[in-house]
Amino acid sequence: MLLKNTYNEFIKILSKPRSYLGIGALTLLVGIIIFAMKADGRSIISFVTSSFEQTLTFNGDVLNGNLIAFIILQMLIVHIPLLVALVTGDLISGEAAMGTIRMLATKPISRTNIVLSKFIAGAMYTLFLTLWLGFFALFVSRQIFGTGDLIVLNSDGLVILQDADVLWRFGLGFCVAFLALLTVSTLSIALSAFAENSIGPIVSTMAIIILFTIIGSLDVTVFDNIKPFLFTTHMASWRSFFEDPVPFSSIIQSIIILVVHNIVLVAIAVYKFNKKDITS
Amino acid sequence: MKKFFILLIISIQFGGIAQEANDILSKVVTKLNTVNDYTVTATVKANVPMIKILPSKATIYFKQKDKFKVVSKGIVILPKQGFTEINTFLANKKSYLAVAGDTTKISGVLTKLITVIPNGESSDIILAKLWIDTKRSVIMKSQITTKSNGSVATTYSYGDNVTYGLPSQLVFEIDVKAFKLPKSVAADINKSTVEKKTKPNNKGVITISLTDYKVNTGLSDAVFTKKK
Repeated sequence: MLLKNTYNEFIKILSKPRSYLGIGALTLLVGIIIFAMKADGRSIISFVTSSFEQTLTFNGDVLNGNLIAFIILQMLIVHIPLLVALVTGDLISGEAAMGTIRMLATKPISRTNIVLSKFIAGAMYTLFLTLWLGFFALFVSRQIFGTGDLIVLNSDGLVILQDADVLWRFGLGFCVAFLALLTVSTLSIALSAFAENSIGPIVSTMAIIILFTIIGSLDVTVFDNIKPFLFTTHMASWRSFFEDPVPFSSIIQSIIILVVHNIVLVAIAVYKFNKKDITS
Repeated sequence: MKKFFILLIISIQFGGIAQEANDILSKVVTKLNTVNDYTVTATVKANVPMIKILPSKATIYFKQKDKFKVVSKGIVILPKQGFTEINTFLANKKSYLAVAGDTTKISGVLTKLITVIPNGESSDIILAKLWIDTKRSVIMKSQITTKSNGSVATTYSYGDNVTYGLPSQLVFEIDVKAFKLPKSVAADINKSTVEKKTKPNNKGVITISLTDYKVNTGLSDAVFTKKK
């Protein structure tokens, strides 16, 4: 029954025009970035390397598909949560707003399973969005710009990764990025269980992300104790795969915190939905 | 009269030192000029502050008098100066003044220090110190100071191609000015920068091992003009 309902929920997601908004926006944004890089990528790269080029020269193809994919990921991973929340924030509250929630509750499926099926459908949509981004960022960029060593600019300097050493990093990076986006999806579903309209959970999700990101980026000691527990602190963990050596312990810690967030948020959504008064 | 003799002795002495320096440099230049062109495989190990890179391979092409090209599959970091500048600079004898200095042992080889100062102001090189193995007429160490890129010290090792004056290994020690990273691009906003306020190491070392020399093969000019 859970699988059947998940299938139904996924069909519902696919039938909404807003679900294609995210895919369309992603495709357009990636296309614009690739075009900009093709037109003027060299000057953008020299902006990064100019400080080093007073003393050193970088020989070889610096502007390649791997670098473009990394830039795309870095630029868009900030905006994708909005595209995810736009769809998943509507999953429960949308039903409440349209009045279909009562009909849904009359089905021979527990309320817990209804929430779980919505969570799984939301996760599938998030996964599709992540894969779509991965395909465009990595596959299309590599086709257009070719492959090569990847220059990554971290806060402590440049890391140059060899071409053969890059694909697994992208693969695992996408997995962690998916987990981070899944947390956004789960948050918006949890908020959706509290609301009666679609806008509230979507805006609230974005407001929480902005708030937590600002707290995370402030170098104020009073926030030092809570920063490690904010999910936004771990949303950029995918980037750690592009460090040398890879800080696996901190990545695992981030994964644990994101998974715990997901479990807690699903539990909250299940609890709230089970208590929800759908008769009035 | 006494003063005249003292001045005469000093000028003869200085002239002798300059003559000695010019003779030594002339032999080095003559040796380098026996190479019209070469192709060599380079393995580059860069140990530069704020840059992490694994050893990488490249092919270096050179043709007289200053055609130089590096071709690599991956990214290779090389010092901005130090490959051909000194050879080109030394080739024009009228453009500098050379003074011989002390003898020093470098890697067990007795060398003579030659200080080279450009005559005009147009040259990018301000001062070049060359430690020359006078027996083999090859540069063992150089320290070149330029207007644009500061100071680069290079240590040379030689192998089979010493007869051409071509090194088998170059170790560049470069002055790394404090690299500034653009913050908008270093977007790891959650990483605190406070913990990284350690004293920066401002010396970078780039070691280039040169193997498989192909000397005087009649390298075409097209190699230097066509894109990779």
